[in-house]
Amino acid sequence: MENIIQIDNLVKFYGKHKAVDNLSLKVKKGDLFAFLGVNGAGKSTAINIMCGVLDKDSGKVVIDGKDIDKDAKIISREIGVVFQNSVLDSKLSVKDNLLCRASLYGITGDAANNRINELSQLLDFDTLLSQAVGKLSGGQRRRIDVARALIHKPKILILDEPTTGLDPQTRRNLWQVIENLRKKDEMTVFLTTHYMEEAVDADYIIILDSGKIAAEGKPIKLKTKYTGDFVTIYGASEDEIAKLQLPYEVLGEGIRIQVKNTAEARDLILKHPDLFEDFELVKGTMDDVFLAVTGKKLGGQN
Amino acid sequence: MNTLLSMTKRNIKLFFKDKGMFFTSLITPIILLVLYATFLGKVYRDSFAASMPDGLIVSDALINGTVSGQLISSLLAVSCITVAFCSNFLMVSDKVTGVSRDFAITPVKKSTLSISYFLATLITTLIITYSAVLIGLVYIAITGWFYNVIDVILILLDVTILTMFGTALSSIINYFLKSQGQLSAVGTVISAGYGFVCGAYMPISQFGIGLQRVLMFLPGTYGTSLIRNHSLAGVLRQMTIEGFPVDVVEKIKDSIDCNIYFFDNKIGIGVMYGVVIGTIALLLGINILINTLSKKRKIS
Repeated sequence: MENIIQIDNLVKFYGKHKAVDNLSLKVKKGDLFAFLGVNGAGKSTAINIMCGVLDKDSGKVVIDGKDIDKDAKIISREIGVVFQNSVLDSKLSVKDNLLCRASLYGITGDAANNRINELSQLLDFDTLLSQAVGKLSGGQRRRIDVARALIHKPKILILDEPTTGLDPQTRRNLWQVIENLRKKDEMTVFLTTHYMEEAVDADYIIILDSGKIAAEGKPIKLKTKYTGDFVTIYGASEDEIAKLQLPYEVLGEGIRIQVKNTAEARDLILKHPDLFEDFELVKGTMDDVFLAVTGKKLGGQN
Repeated sequence: MNTLLSMTKRNIKLFFKDKGMFFTSLITPIILLVLYATFLGKVYRDSFAASMPDGLIVSDALINGTVSGQLISSLLAVSCITVAFCSNFLMVSDKVTGVSRDFAITPVKKSTLSISYFLATLITTLIITYSAVLIGLVYIAITGWFYNVIDVILILLDVTILTMFGTALSSIINYFLKSQGQLSAVGTVISAGYGFVCGAYMPISQFGIGLQRVLMFLPGTYGTSLIRNHSLAGVLRQMTIEGFPVDVVEKIKDSIDCNIYFFDNKIGIGVMYGVVIGTIALLLGINILINTLSKKRKIS
C-alpha cells in the first residue's frame, strides 16, 4: 500500500529548544495512525508543519506525493483537522459556520449546501443546523467539529485529542463514525490521543518523547516488546503469590502478576495448578507500553 | 471573490451578534451624549453667547443649530474611530480563540482574510456612523436646521473618509495584538482617550498651545475639523446672512475647531482632505506591507 504521508529527518527549533528532533515516519493510505506523547513531546509541532501553518528548520514532508515546501496550498485541501478545542464561531449557527468554512476551500452556493446536508445525515446533526454552536453540548459540538474537518472531503483526517472531555458513550459514537468513514472512503486517520485504548486499534503507533521517536510499531508488537504478559489471579492470598517471587500488584479482588511472556505464564500455571483455579491472562496495555518506553504516564506525570 | 464575500459576511454577522463588542464600540458616543445632556450643552451654549459682541442679536435657532452642530460633529468624529477599532477587534479575538488556526490550515490566502476584516469593519462602522448621521440630522431638524443638500453630502463624505481612516489605522494596530489583555488595554485607551484627542469633549482651540501643536501632527485632527466645518457650515453661512461681522465669524470658527492652524498657518479644506486621504493611502500601504512580509504563525 502506498504511503500517503512521508516525513524524513524533520527538525524544528523554538529558539534553542529542539521541539522536533530528526523525526522520520511513514503513514500508509487508509491506515489509522496513532501519534503518542506527553504534552510538549512535539506532536502538535509536527502536525502544524504537516498542515503548512508552521515552517520547519530542515527535513522533508511529503503528503500524497506533494512536497510541503512547494505545494502547501494543494496539500491543505487534502487535510482536515479536528483540533483539541473547538475552533468554530460559538455565536454563529452550525450552518453559518460550515458555510463559512466551506467557502475557505472555494466551496460555495449549492455545492456547499449539498455537502452540509450530506454531512448532517452522516453525523446526525440535521436538527442542529440552525442552533448557535455555543449552545451545543460537548458531544454535539464535537460532531460539528468533525463535519467542519470533512467539509472539503479530505484524504487525511488529523484528530488532535478529539475525544478529550467527552463521555464514554459519545466517544464510542464518534469513533464509530470515524471508522465508517475510513472504511467507506479509505480515509487516512492521523490520531493523537491521551486515551490509550483508542490507540490500541491503530494500524501503527509512534511514541514521541522530547521530539524523538522513542518506539514505533504495530500495537501488538509494542506490547510484546515492551510489556510482557499479566496473569490476574482471583481467590489466592497475597502470601501465596509472594512465594512465586515474581513482580505483582494487588488489584481490588485480584492479584496481577507480571510474566515475561505467554510461555512463562503457561509454565507457571502448570507448576502451580492449585493457585490458578480462577485467573485471566492478558497482554500489557498501551499505558504499560507508554510507561515502559518513556518512563512517563500520558497526562504529563513522571 | 465568493470566499471574500463569505468571510466578510461572517465578520459582519459576528460583530452584530456579539452584543458586548457592539455596546463597547458605542461607549464613547454614549458618554459624550450623557456629558452633553448633563453640562456640555450648557457650556457650549454659554461659551457661544459670551463670544458674541455686545449689541449683536442672535436667534435661539442659530444658537441651538451651532450647539447641535458641535455635538453631532463630535459624536461622528469619535464614532468613526472607536467603532472601527471595536469592530476590527474581531481579528484579535480570532487569534485568541484559535479560530485563526482553523483559517490557517485552509488554502485561503492571508490577504483574502485581511481584506475581509477590513471590509467588514468598514461596512459595520459605516452602518453605525450613517445611522448616527441620520439621527443627528433629525435632531438638528428639530433644534435648528440651516443645511443645504451639499452640506449633508459633504458630512456623509467626511464620515466615510474618517471611517476609512479609522479602519485602516485599526487594521495596523490590531494586527500586532495577540491576547485578550492587549485587546482590552487598547480598547480602553481608544475609547477613553480618542474623545479628548480629537476635541470631542473640549475644542482643541482651548488646549494649551503646545498640545495644540502636537495634535496637529495627528491626521485624525484634520478629519475631525472637516466634519466640524461641514456640520457647522449651515449656521456659519446663516450668521453671515444675518450680518455677523467677518472677524466674529472667523473667531467662532477658531473657537470650535473649524479653523485649525499648523504652526500659525491656517489649513484649508483641500489640505485637510489631502492629509486624511494621503494618510489612508499610507496606512493601506503599510497594511499590505505587513501582511506581505509577515511569516507563518508560530504555533507551539
